[in-house]
Amino acid sequence: MASNKRQSILPRVQAGPKAPVNFSSSITIADTAILTGNHTINISSDSVIHPRSKLDSSGGRVTIGRRCIVHERTHVGAPGPAPPSSSASFGVLLEDYVTVEVAAVIESGETTIAEGCLIGIGARIGKGAQLGKHCTITAKSVVSPGERVPDYTVVYSNGVRRLDKRGVNDLKNKAQARQIEVLRRLIPSNPAKFKD
Amino acid sequence: MASFTPYSYIQCPCFDATGQARPSDESPSASSSDAPESDDDHAFDPRSPRSNYSLYPIEHLLYCVDCNQIRCPRCVAEELVTIYCPSCLFEVGSSSVKTEGNRCTRSCFQCPVCIGPLAVQSLEPAPESSSLLTADNAAPPAPGPWALCCSYCNWSSSEIGIKFDKPQGIFGQLAKIRDGDGHGDISVAAVDAAPTKKSGDAEADSTKSRFALMRSFYQSQLANSNSTSSGNLSGTLGEYGYGSPTALSRIMSLYSGNGLAALKPKSRPTEIREADSFKDGFRPSNLDESSSISALRENGYDGTVTNSQATSQVDEGARFVEDLWPIPHLLRSKRAKRCPVCRHILSKPEAKVNNTRWRIRLVAGNYIPSISIKPLNPTDTPGLPVPDTSSLTLTPLKPTQYLLTFKNQMFDQIKVTLATPATTPGRFASRVTVLCPQFTIDANAEDYDINEALKDDRRQDKEEAAPQVEAGKPWERGRNWVSIVVEVIPSSLRIEPKPAILRKPGEAEDLGPLKEDEDILEIPMFVRLEWESEAAQDQVGSTASKDKEAKEKRELAYWCVLGLGRISQD
Ligand SMILES: [Zn+2]
Ligand SMILES: [Zn+2]
Ligand SMILES: [Zn+2]
Ligand SMILES: [Zn+2]
Repeated sequence: MASNKRQSILPRVQAGPKAPVNFSSSITIADTAILTGNHTINISSDSVIHPRSKLDSSGGRVTIGRRCIVHERTHVGAPGPAPPSSSASFGVLLEDYVTVEVAAVIESGETTIAEGCLIGIGARIGKGAQLGKHCTITAKSVVSPGERVPDYTVVYSNGVRRLDKRGVNDLKNKAQARQIEVLRRLIPSNPAKFKD
Repeated sequence: MASFTPYSYIQCPCFDATGQARPSDESPSASSSDAPESDDDHAFDPRSPRSNYSLYPIEHLLYCVDCNQIRCPRCVAEELVTIYCPSCLFEVGSSSVKTEGNRCTRSCFQCPVCIGPLAVQSLEPAPESSSLLTADNAAPPAPGPWALCCSYCNWSSSEIGIKFDKPQGIFGQLAKIRDGDGHGDISVAAVDAAPTKKSGDAEADSTKSRFALMRSFYQSQLANSNSTSSGNLSGTLGEYGYGSPTALSRIMSLYSGNGLAALKPKSRPTEIREADSFKDGFRPSNLDESSSISALRENGYDGTVTNSQATSQVDEGARFVEDLWPIPHLLRSKRAKRCPVCRHILSKPEAKVNNTRWRIRLVAGNYIPSISIKPLNPTDTPGLPVPDTSSLTLTPLKPTQYLLTFKNQMFDQIKVTLATPATTPGRFASRVTVLCPQFTIDANAEDYDINEALKDDRRQDKEEAAPQVEAGKPWERGRNWVSIVVEVIPSSLRIEPKPAILRKPGEAEDLGPLKEDEDILEIPMFVRLEWESEAAQDQVGSTASKDKEAKEKRELAYWCVLGLGRISQD
């Protein structure tokens, strides 16, 4: 793709360029979602993108797995405090069954959120952080850049950590699927708007 | 340096009461020689350790209209009005508190890890009907087992091996699991796929169950010994722990020599046995700590409990995360407060749990003037907002002026007289001058005209654009408030010995480093209020009929402390 060349020449535009997208046919994406950046944004099957959520691929490719829910006013692929390094091979990767709650921010730069994670309301995931499977980042918690969070970690109460030993992954995934069913009926989807 | 907000604290009269009631508290040797002049005219020292217990911001104080006195949270008498659970807001009778304890028995639990509320959740997925297409149908009851889960930190009672058969009556189920009483019940609970508690030591694990076992053991022992020993004394004394025949005979022999032994010859009763086995409720302390050590080794620091987690547990002794049990919510109470002297009610909340209003509430703010403090910057016009000087520090030896605003909330005009010591008490004596120690504040009348008041304010803004600092005159006055000026000369915070001439003989000088908050300039101030109000309502029959306008002169005097600011240290 020519996107790499363009990135170096073009000045940063406030609104951002219209991002090249790659959607599965079964996704639900609201009309007012903001998809910007010059790298590809991939959204896999059954995922839900709420209104006014912002997916920003200017720092690298953004990939959203299956059955993810990205809530309102989130910013996936936000520029980190440091200028984006060109060495990052991708921006943000959300694996399957990830929920990004309202107003959460995920910085760009090889940031990986593994399967079944919950990013709580207003939480911030630093650039290059790697969350293991089924982590829970509670509201307003911060994961610092480059941090590796082991599987099943719960980050709560100003950064205290513990392991989630409930063993309810199947239950959680089923609940997520049910929620997506409901959301699909509530949110009018308009994927065509984002395609060229 | 942290920013500083000026404050005013008021002293409750109970300070004096305790001082007079218990003079023997003070050690006669040291303090009496040091401070022989503990007279009335001895200025109150806000830095003395005892002052901590009698100084309150005006918002915390109540006021007894019968005694005409300030009352603080420390001296009022409290009375329970309602006991309730803060989680489910159910009222709990005091009798059930006595039998059931002070925790909610209606399945309100707190997370032992993060104290968030726990919810009952099924550990198994709902049956097939919850397929993707019929998502929001009235979900059929999910099958058990159930567990208590924290939605914040994701703690679950299944982590400590506790699961429930049904989602109701969690408190009772948990008590059964915990106390291990009624083995039949446990086996019932264990019938389903819910092995209740992991190991077999569930038998008498909790303090409560051990206490119950031990009590029943000793009661049976006492009953045995009482029936065998003929002495009827031991029957009554048995409850007090003197039931042991040896103890009793020893006591009796103290009083009657050998009389008792002679009276009851050789009917040596059977000795009672002490608890010594597990089923007596006896548990030797476990000196073999290898299991704890291996647990530490295995789970590390994360496997141990924090101090606050351990203290919020109902049973003591939790050391590892596995020892943490759900915490039933502590009950709370609504309380009425009475005057300690005349027993009149000062505040009384509505008895209903959901109602947060008060039936009676006599707050001091309605009866004594509030004092607000702000630095006076003469270059500013008073109409403009004063720049934020609260974070600035006081320069030593530089005269600084402060504006004290007294606001009257009463419907009577009050006359205020202020007095301060010339220098503040403590190691660093700053000079204090109240420029206008006597003034009157107009009543907080209800029937004022808002336009009049506004015109008043505007006129003041225009005319007195720069009021002069003048001794004996208030700086500014309004409808129900008066501002006066206080001038302070902060002392230097340098710690150096006093010149020999100024030193009192035998006075020990404290040349230690600056103590915490010793750099705050605090002024003790004696406030005396005088006002005339309608005669007390009690004598309605006699005096009021004679003279309806009968006025009664009242006065109130108290100490308060004004914290003005920090003195800079260089
Ligand atoms: Zn008091
Ligand atoms: Zn309750
Ligand atoms: Zn919790
Ligand atoms: Zn009273």
